[in-house]
Amino acid sequence: MMETHKNDIGSTFGMWLFLLSEILLFGGLFILYSVYRYNHSQIFHLAADALNRPVGALNTLILLTSSLTMALSIFFLKNRRPERSLFFLFLTIFLGLFFLFNKYFEWASKVHHGVYPNAPGLLERERGEVLFYGLYYSMTGLHGFHVLVGIGLLSVMFVFILRGKIDHERILPLKNTGLYWHLVDIIWIFLFPLFYLIT
Amino acid sequence: MAGFYEDERRLRGILGWIFSTDHKRIGLLYLFAILFFYAIGVLLGFLMRLELMAPGPTIMRPQTYNAIFTLHGVIMIFLFVIPGIPSIFGNFFLPIQIGARDVAFPRINLLSWWIYMTGAFLAILSLFTGGGPVDTGWTFYVPYSLRTSVNVPLAVFAVFILGFSSILTGINFVTTTHQLRAPGMTWFRLPLFVWAVYATAWIQVLVTPVIGITLLLTLMERLVGVGIFDPAKGGDPLLYQHLFWIYSHPAVYIMILPAMGVISEIIPVFARRTIFGYKAMAFSILAIAVVGSFVWGHHMFVSGQSDLASIIFSLLTFLVAVPSGVKVFNWVSTLYKGSIEVAPPLLFALTFIFLFSIGGLTGLFQGALATDVHLHDTYWVVGHFHYVIFGGTGFALFGALHYWFPKMFGRMYHKKIPYFAWALLFVGFNTLYFPMLILGWKGMPRRYYDYLPQFHSLQWISTIGSWILIAGLILLFANLIYSLFRGEKAEGNPWGGATLEWQIPSPPPRENFAEIPRIERGPYEFRK
Amino acid sequence: MKIYILVWLSLVILTGIAVSAAGMDWGGWSLGVALGIAFLKSGLILNYFMHLKDERGLRLFRWMVPGILAILILFIGLTFFDVAFR
Repeated sequence: MMETHKNDIGSTFGMWLFLLSEILLFGGLFILYSVYRYNHSQIFHLAADALNRPVGALNTLILLTSSLTMALSIFFLKNRRPERSLFFLFLTIFLGLFFLFNKYFEWASKVHHGVYPNAPGLLERERGEVLFYGLYYSMTGLHGFHVLVGIGLLSVMFVFILRGKIDHERILPLKNTGLYWHLVDIIWIFLFPLFYLIT
Repeated sequence: MAGFYEDERRLRGILGWIFSTDHKRIGLLYLFAILFFYAIGVLLGFLMRLELMAPGPTIMRPQTYNAIFTLHGVIMIFLFVIPGIPSIFGNFFLPIQIGARDVAFPRINLLSWWIYMTGAFLAILSLFTGGGPVDTGWTFYVPYSLRTSVNVPLAVFAVFILGFSSILTGINFVTTTHQLRAPGMTWFRLPLFVWAVYATAWIQVLVTPVIGITLLLTLMERLVGVGIFDPAKGGDPLLYQHLFWIYSHPAVYIMILPAMGVISEIIPVFARRTIFGYKAMAFSILAIAVVGSFVWGHHMFVSGQSDLASIIFSLLTFLVAVPSGVKVFNWVSTLYKGSIEVAPPLLFALTFIFLFSIGGLTGLFQGALATDVHLHDTYWVVGHFHYVIFGGTGFALFGALHYWFPKMFGRMYHKKIPYFAWALLFVGFNTLYFPMLILGWKGMPRRYYDYLPQFHSLQWISTIGSWILIAGLILLFANLIYSLFRGEKAEGNPWGGATLEWQIPSPPPRENFAEIPRIERGPYEFRK
Repeated sequence: MKIYILVWLSLVILTGIAVSAAGMDWGGWSLGVALGIAFLKSGLILNYFMHLKDERGLRLFRWMVPGILAILILFIGLTFFDVAFR
């Protein structure tokens, strides 16, 4: 018993170390963002005006809610209610997909307006705007990729709970996936004001 | 009790190795892979020296030379020195030294080796695909790496993959050190090698992602033209250098800290004295790791960064010299009045101190802003970092091999031959690299294919040195490989070491300890 | 379970505040306000959803997030000694 408890702390700690390295992965981008924003602050403000703020806010609410459903899914599994846990896990996956769906349309409309990496129309604009969109696509793109990976992990957890491989005693994989999902949410909490709210 | 070589569980033969989650087998997998890439790196270095033996074209064309020095750097840095000591000896001995049966996440440990091999394979593949071998130098500086026609994307992606392996290994070692210490193994009873690998693991976890994202962005910029670093799109190429060195300077400490840990193991054992100033040694490791993470700008003194930044980074750089000095003085003090036995491991450890001191002191010249303008991008720098990395980490790795060989393989090597090999290595090394310091001082730029006639004699001496060095390497490894098969059986504790790995049979049994030991004394308290 | 819903409600309200505050003119403070709210929200998620405040296994759990922030701030700060004074 003592032994398993120690191992639980170990894998939670290992997961946290991984999350720390994820923070610094995005950290590199935040360094770039802060410098370019400092160098081109006026243009960043103007460029941010062109982003769709309601969609950004909606996506923020979606991810925050998905964090709630994730926490509830873990809560119910811990309290031996796997069917409720599955329900909330399903909601989390659904919200994740909903987020990506919105993101897809947001990107698609930008591309439609000729604002995409290396677009001839974009390169004619101010340098600061090229950088703004460079960062916009890299940062939301990397974040979107993390959401996609998260959805994949959550789906695996879904199957595991369904097959009884994870239950109230062996809950750690679900908890660690939850930690990852919450971190992805936190990163969006910073991306949202930095891109959509700086007008 | 059967050693871990005999004990085969689910799988037999080669499969029992490449799918093994035993930390000792994984350590040996790394050993053979890393030494294989080291051999390639040495061969490339040898070819470069041969080309530079005389002015003008000697054995290759300029483009080939550019590819070879890039490849020499990429292989030596990312495939040999960075993973070197932590992945081989850290894997093998960290769990044993803290009294554990394995690392915290054995399967992730195996995954980490596979990722390393994948990255290495992609790096080699990049030579033969796309636009041919990379010619940017190992730093992949933009904007050149965005413009050149060679196969930068695959090479950059390979390094990105290798970073993953490094991060996973780091996570494993940090967690292992925190969670799996035997009862009574308090933090200040940890062997210093564990301290060193632990500090290194933190650096690996925290800064490797920064180069990951940098290379990923470079890849994206090349493939889809995202505007990030390219000055044509308003980007600032100096930011690439900042991000690159935020990782790559601490990476220097990833290379040297484990080496310092090895030296701190070897010296007390062969001086039969406890280490001088244990706590100062432990804290200086942490101090080097922390301060060393904030000095990256000293690679950019002549890049056009602000003078204020240069001054601050120069100051921080000099600060790192303090804990490094503490270590050197403590090693020497440990020897004082010791009962010294100059066995092969100690010989390499002493050479480490000598060569590392030259490397460290020549570093101070570059840390000073005024002299750096003269020395930057010259052979001085090449000489300096070979003294630190090869003279330091390389010789520590030879020391570690000779120290732990009987434990790892259960056989003892021929004890006379390493002295001859050492003599060749020592003479060859200094003949090879000392002229580089002079060449650089006189103004010979690094990475040049051709040079002026006045540099001929020193370049020629340097090339002769490379032959002596390689002769030494061949002798050293021939002895070890021969002993692998024909050496006498080694006892459990041939050197009289006090740390835990010497208290179990050689080679160690599958789960290291029949019973987890209870620790009641420090790592260097020898029986009277 | 109640605490989770309360935390979620506070997160939604904070998002509302951030969006409406962005419409006002805070001068040089707008970035501070936006980031302050973001840090507040992250703090709630870290402590309640990710149970960081309940982790007792290692003392390090309490220090690692502030630690990583300090590192990131130092990275950005030292870079700005170059960028801002070039």
